[in-house]
This record gives sequence, C-alpha cells and structure tokens, in this order.
Amino acid sequence: MMQIRLLETALLLGLYVLLAGGYGLTYALARLNHRTSLRRAAVVLYGLHCLVAIGVVVWAPLGLGWKALLIASSLAMLVIPPVTWRYLEHTHRTGSASA
Amino acid sequence: MYRSQKLAVKYLAAAITLFGVMVIAGLMSAYYYINPDFLFGILHFNIAKILHIDTLVIWLLMGFMGAIYWFLPEEMGREPVGIWLAEILFYVFCAAVAIVAVVFIVVQYGSSNEIALWFINQGRKYVEAPRWAALGVVAVMGVFGYNVIGTVVATRRLTGIMAVLMIDLIPLVALYLDAFPAVTNMSEDLFWWWWLVHLWVEATWEVLIGCIMAFTLMQLLGTSRRIVETWLYIEVALVLGTGILGLGHHYFWIGTPNYWLGIGGFFSALEPLPLLGMVVHAVYDAGTHHMKTANRPALYWMMAEAFGNFLGGGVWGFMITLPQINLYAHGTQWTVSHGHFAFWGAYACGVISVAYLIVQKVRGMEQVGGALWRWSFAALNLGLIGMVGALLVAGMTQSFVERATGGSTLQAFIAGQQDPWFVSGMMLRFLFGLVFAAGYGFLVYDLLTLGRRRGVVTAATVSP
Repeated sequence: MMQIRLLETALLLGLYVLLAGGYGLTYALARLNHRTSLRRAAVVLYGLHCLVAIGVVVWAPLGLGWKALLIASSLAMLVIPPVTWRYLEHTHRTGSASA
Repeated sequence: MYRSQKLAVKYLAAAITLFGVMVIAGLMSAYYYINPDFLFGILHFNIAKILHIDTLVIWLLMGFMGAIYWFLPEEMGREPVGIWLAEILFYVFCAAVAIVAVVFIVVQYGSSNEIALWFINQGRKYVEAPRWAALGVVAVMGVFGYNVIGTVVATRRLTGIMAVLMIDLIPLVALYLDAFPAVTNMSEDLFWWWWLVHLWVEATWEVLIGCIMAFTLMQLLGTSRRIVETWLYIEVALVLGTGILGLGHHYFWIGTPNYWLGIGGFFSALEPLPLLGMVVHAVYDAGTHHMKTANRPALYWMMAEAFGNFLGGGVWGFMITLPQINLYAHGTQWTVSHGHFAFWGAYACGVISVAYLIVQKVRGMEQVGGALWRWSFAALNLGLIGMVGALLVAGMTQSFVERATGGSTLQAFIAGQQDPWFVSGMMLRFLFGLVFAAGYGFLVYDLLTLGRRRGVVTAATVSP
C-alpha cells in the first residue's frame, strides 16, 4: 500500500539524516583525537548512510526529482564535515594570528 | 554593571519564570490526553495549550532580549541609548503578559466581534494575545530596536555582529505586524500568518540566536572576534538560504498553488545541511578547548544547542518535510514531536547557556560547577528526549492508523486516538514531562543559589 510505504520512507529519511550526523560527529572527533578507530567509524556511518539512501532511491515511492535531491544531499553531506573542518582550522589559524 | 545589564538580569528572571509557566501548562495539556475530564467545565484543553505555546514564544523572546541587553553595552562600550524607556517597558511587558494570562484563564473566549479581538483573544495560534497586548509587544520590540540601533549610531562604531543584529531587527519587528490582520479568507489568513510564525522562528530568530551565540562564544571560550564573525556570516547565509523558502512546507495544505509543494519540499530538504556543519563546528570548538572553561554548564548547554538543533530540526524535520509524506503526518503528534525537539535544540538550550554565563558574571564567580547543574541538564534533556520519543510513537500511530489506512475519516480519527500505541505514547509523554519538570526545578534552584551554596565553589575549583 502506497501510503504505508511513504510513512516507512519517512522513517528511512530520519535514519538517513541521523547517520549523516553520526558521520559528521565521528569525523570531527577523529580529526580532533587523531584516532583511526573513529575514522573507521566515520567511514562505516557514511557507508550506512549511503545504503539507506540507495534503499530510498530503489524502494521508496518518491518521484525522480526527490530521489535526485537525496543523492545530491548525500554528496553534500560527504564533503560538509571535511570542508567545514578545514575552514575552521584556517579561520582559527588566521584569526588567532591577527588577534 | 551597566543599567542595561541589570535589565538583562530582570529579563532573564522573567524568561525563566515564564519557562516554568510553560512547563506547568504543558503538563496540563499532556494530562488532558490521559484524562479528558480533567478540569471539565473550568479550564479547557485549548486554554492550557494556548498558555503553553504563547509562554514558549514569550519566554524565549524575553531570553533573547535579556541576552542582547547583557552583551550590548560591553560590545559598544557604553550604556544603550534610551535604556530608561526599556526599563519602563520591561514592567509594562510583564504586566501585559500577566493580564493576558489572567484573561485567558478567567474569560477564556468571547464572541466573534471586535471587542473579543481587542480584549480577549485574537484566535490565531501562537499570537492569541488580544490586540492591545500585541500592540504592547510591538512597542517593546520597537524600543528594543531603538536601543540597539540608536546605540550603534551614537557610538559611530559598527562591529560585524552588530551589523547582522541590526539588519535582523527590522524583519523581527516588521513581521510581528502580521499578528494583527483579521482576514476572513482562511487560506489568505494562513498564508500571511505563516510569514510571522515561520519567518520569525526559522529566519529572524535563527539570526538572533546566532548573534547571541557569537557573543557567548567570545566570552565563554575566548574565541576571537574575527572567527565568530566569519562563521556568523556563513551560518546565517546558509540558514537563511534554506529557511526563508522553507516557509513553503507550511503552504502544502492551506489552499495555495501546487508549486509550493516543490518549493517547500526542496528548500526544507536542504535545511539539515547547515545543521551538519554546526555539529562539526561545535565539536571543533569544544574539542580544541578540551571542554575546559570556567563555566561548564554554559558550555554544555551550548553543545546541547548544536546537537539538539540538528536532531530536532534536521532529523525530526526531514522525516516529515517531503509533501508526499507530510500529507499523512501533518497536524499529528509527529509534528508536535518535531516542534518540541526543534524549539528546544534551536533556542531553549541557548537561552539557558546565556543564563549560566550571566549568573557567573553577576555573582563574580571564577568557576561555575557543582553537581546540581548536571542533574538539571540530565533531567531536562532526558525528559525532553523521552517526550519527543513518546510523541513520535503516538504521531506515527496517528499517521498509520488514522491517515494512511483509515483515510482520515472521523471513525479513523477515533480509532487512532484509541490505539494502544497512541494511548501508551501519550502516557509516556506525560511521565517524561514530569522528569522534564523536575529538571526545571533543579535548574531554577541552581540558578538561584549558584555562588551562594557551600560546596559549589569548592567543587568547581577542584574540577573545572
């Protein structure tokens, strides 16, 4: 039944963002503590995020446009943590130097 | 201490008091679901709910104003312009809130005429306050704007944070004027009403709390101005970029054209992206300082803000933001769950963080610590997470039973309300509400007695 599948999709979408958050958190912690285990955890969490994204794309009764948006979001979520981290380091380096 | 900072303490005291009223009204609203006969014929559910959501808006607004009145003279190096007017209006504001609350409780509602609109209830969710009180809010916000902008003009010095704050104050005041029209066309009325509700909450308030957190970061962690201003610009741009047209997710089912389905869904789906950046930012800030600060409660509440915003706004919001899904989830306890989590994460945690910072300064404490703030932090967050979890279960039950399989008929509504999962969810929400209320009690006691209790200073000194 389409309605039920849409509501199950809602739960998958929640998991989709939650796993992206878990990836961002563990990525940042890994960079902070220089721990390989955390870096691996970040990779695993992003992998799970991708699996959920693939699940939604393949299985969910959403239109093509929404599925494309989810794929684009997944790519953005992959790069946001490293780009943010790099820029944070940059601003702190230059900010502290000029302060 | 500046007069403005004394006023800030009063605003924060009023905010925390109204936070308590919100908790009590929330507990009452939750209890009505368990025992619908509660206070039958005396105080109806709708009044308790009005008190709950209106005090939510007012306590956060007072908290924001208190924070700005605290930081403003330090930022500008002088007493704000027209502070005497703000001092008077603080008492007018408090008196108006008290009178409106008494009218809501005693008179409750009137006829559908101008007298009821002006003196009893405007009947529009979140802005139920009668017109005379709404005019009072405009006056208070107008003076607040005058204090901020006038001070910048008088000092002839403009910092990055103040520039963002000044620009933000214009829509903050202007959008509130949307509280007044009494349009009889429901679609048209809701169209404009959402400008007030959504654009306050997901645009102007986001910018305001961004400015407040920028000030807090500088004081709490000693972060340089250049860094906080750079990130303020980036985060404000991202939040506004996704948040303004995210307004469309409220236009799905109110009679607006179909294109809002695409616009609202698209921009709302982008909203988790800046929140993910904020999570990374929070870990960086806390981690580079090794969680060391003279004010641990303030730091922990600030961290809770970043994570709560991501979970409440990002995860909970994303579940129900696409129009196909929202068709079944809107107006259920699922939405209520998202609303509770998002308001808590985005705003309430930030105001509590500032409250701890101000208490530290006012009482001249070198370190803030002790055990009580941990109890408060744990109980408030556990209570909140328990509540939103229980509401999520209840809301999903409604969406599945009432909407998806029942077809939104009256019979399906009743079936949804009687479903054991819904009933258990509402029971659990009340129980976790009690945990949250206990956390509020710890918070108030801690804020009132910090620096005055024996043991707190010692504990803080030993364990910074």
